[in-house]
Amino acid sequence: MARILGVDIPNNKHVVISLTYIYGIGNDSAQKILDKLGIDHRKKTKDLTEEQLSTLATEIENNYVVEGQLSRQIRGNIQRLKEIACYRGFRHRRGLPVRGQQTQSNARTRKGPRKTIAGKKRVGK
Amino acid sequence: MSRSSKKGPFFCEKLLKKVLKQKEASRIEPIKTWSRSSTILPEFVEHVFLVHNGKQFHKVTVREEMVGHKLGEFALTRTFRGHIKKEKGKR
Repeated sequence: MARILGVDIPNNKHVVISLTYIYGIGNDSAQKILDKLGIDHRKKTKDLTEEQLSTLATEIENNYVVEGQLSRQIRGNIQRLKEIACYRGFRHRRGLPVRGQQTQSNARTRKGPRKTIAGKKRVGK
Repeated sequence: MSRSSKKGPFFCEKLLKKVLKQKEASRIEPIKTWSRSSTILPEFVEHVFLVHNGKQFHKVTVREEMVGHKLGEFALTRTFRGHIKKEKGKR
């Protein structure tokens, strides 16, 4: 198992796939990185030379916001929205969808598990 | 979809005029506005707006971080007073 940028340990899959194990690198940026460095996508990570691994690491470090830094950035952005008291900030605070989705039904990803209210009449019964 | 950058930000020109006028006189007075869709321009920083929310005018003091947002984002149009709690034992 190879190590790129500290904690990330992509395994013996194709390099493109391995790179996506890094938080902040998806399929698209993985492909772009490999194209730029001229590394074959299909190569397995274990077959990479030390040199290639280090060029990968420097490439990512210099041009991509990744891992902890990225999550910090995201958190900062949300924090900013909350602080300036705008509509999106309120939605974040309430844990409701931010981008105008409906909330009468669904929106469970943001709202979390259903909280059943006792004594509430069922509709259609 | 986001707005074409060629056009630049949308804003109410009257608002900018008023702000610049105030800048010249170097005083800050609340500006009443209905133009919720106006983008907050860098010139607006530290000026006070009274943004209409459909019913009242909401006081918004523009801070630097607000630049690029719309005025309407800071004057909520809905009031949510919570759901009605059903009284217990009452039938």
